[in-house]
Amino acid sequence: MKKDRREFINTCFRFAAGASIVGVAGVLASKSVKGDYLWQLDPTKCTQCGRCATSCVVTPSAVKCIHVYDMCGYCDLCGGYFRPNVKNLSTGAENMLCPTGAIKRTYVEDPYFKYEIIEELCNGCGKCVKGCGAFGNGSLQLQVNHDLCVNCNECAIARDCPSDAFKRVPLEEAYQFAGFKTNKKI
Amino acid sequence: MKNKLILWLSVVLLIVLIAFMAKDLFKTGNLSQKNVYEYDLNSLRHVDDSKISHKESKQIKIEADEIHAVAVDQEDNIYVGTDKSLLVLNSEGKPINNLKLRQAASCITVMDDGNILVGMSTRIDVRKPDGSLRNSFVVKGDRTYITSIAVQDTNVFVADAGQKIIHHYNIDGNKIKEIGGKNQAEGVKGFVIPSPYFDLLIGRQGELWAVNPGRHAFEAYNFEGRQISNWNRTSMSLDGFSGCCNPSNIAMLSDGSFVTAEKGLERIKIHLPSGDFKSVVAAPDLFEPGTVGIDLAVDSKDRILVMDPAKRLIRIFEAK
Repeated sequence: MKKDRREFINTCFRFAAGASIVGVAGVLASKSVKGDYLWQLDPTKCTQCGRCATSCVVTPSAVKCIHVYDMCGYCDLCGGYFRPNVKNLSTGAENMLCPTGAIKRTYVEDPYFKYEIIEELCNGCGKCVKGCGAFGNGSLQLQVNHDLCVNCNECAIARDCPSDAFKRVPLEEAYQFAGFKTNKKI
Repeated sequence: MKNKLILWLSVVLLIVLIAFMAKDLFKTGNLSQKNVYEYDLNSLRHVDDSKISHKESKQIKIEADEIHAVAVDQEDNIYVGTDKSLLVLNSEGKPINNLKLRQAASCITVMDDGNILVGMSTRIDVRKPDGSLRNSFVVKGDRTYITSIAVQDTNVFVADAGQKIIHHYNIDGNKIKEIGGKNQAEGVKGFVIPSPYFDLLIGRQGELWAVNPGRHAFEAYNFEGRQISNWNRTSMSLDGFSGCCNPSNIAMLSDGSFVTAEKGLERIKIHLPSGDFKSVVAAPDLFEPGTVGIDLAVDSKDRILVMDPAKRLIRIFEAK
């Protein structure tokens, strides 16, 4: 059976339209099963360059320091809390590494101290994260706080991040902690 | 003519405008620009040359996937514990023996009579000088993790970072007592060990020295388990130790000075028997950033052997 040219082109168009409809339906179905995607920071790639504090469209930044208490050594001389070469291990502002005073230090028992992040003050600069990683167990980690993040289509921090640490993650893996089993926000 | 000129000028202006806008598509901005919030740790890694007392005289490359521990014997032979075996080298680094291990070595100590004690997680193997197994025993406890062994005569002291105590055994594996456990009634504060770095050595008077890394302290005990001396230096500067668990490893020179290895700021230093800072053996810039588990040994000539796990080297330092 011979087909003329017009019929052949029609058949091709029908196939292309059918494939497009099936493809779009497949993508939509897959998205609805997988749920939404959010921007998040991979702490294993982050180099604490300080750009999370300055690049985010939200002020102060939606990136915050989060304390993974299970990993903390509760040190007296905390590298994330104190500036280098401090004279006294006290809570004086001149001793603090955090530029906004967003870490609260509380005595627990000899020789342990508890460190809490005051989220409203934290600007996500990551100085404490770098200090904790360099001298301690790395329990202070930067994460995008999804209560504050407006989830831009093109994240301004991701565009500026020099270590490619920002990525889209599924809703169910919204928080990504390094060295810790459960990825839930604490 | 005038209209034509305006038209050409408009075209040129349009091209310039498009080029200016298109630049943003290809240029990502100056990422190397200094950020005011960046915490620069490089200044802390710098050590003034006048404070460095030793120079690196030799490097011995170890052919293994992982290296975990180093020790020397009375003849200055070098023992290196790897993930699979115990390598015995002469003082110049030439291989003498290769003993297969049942699991990765976490620490090694060589007795005066040549017997070799190898710590592996929860077990200690005692090997004869020829490498054959003499005996073996397990340190009991759900959280046991052996990080160091010190030996005096037939007394074997085992640092257990998991249970935060020192176990006192005899060479046959019979437990005698525990040392350093928290005892509020006697005012013993106990060991603070946030991560598994807990080292021991026997001092010149036969006393047992233990690092209390969470307190940046050295504590000396007699064999009855009583603390007889201690010192601590907490500081981010050269004169002390910082972070959650430093010093991570120690050794002792013939004059009783302590050689210390730190993590975080990877550096090797010497502290006087009083605890005061004396000098730097190896500055942080000699190590790859993030190197942890640097082990130490000192031979009869006071050469300092530094096990660099990141570069899989035994690095020998001698006084300048």
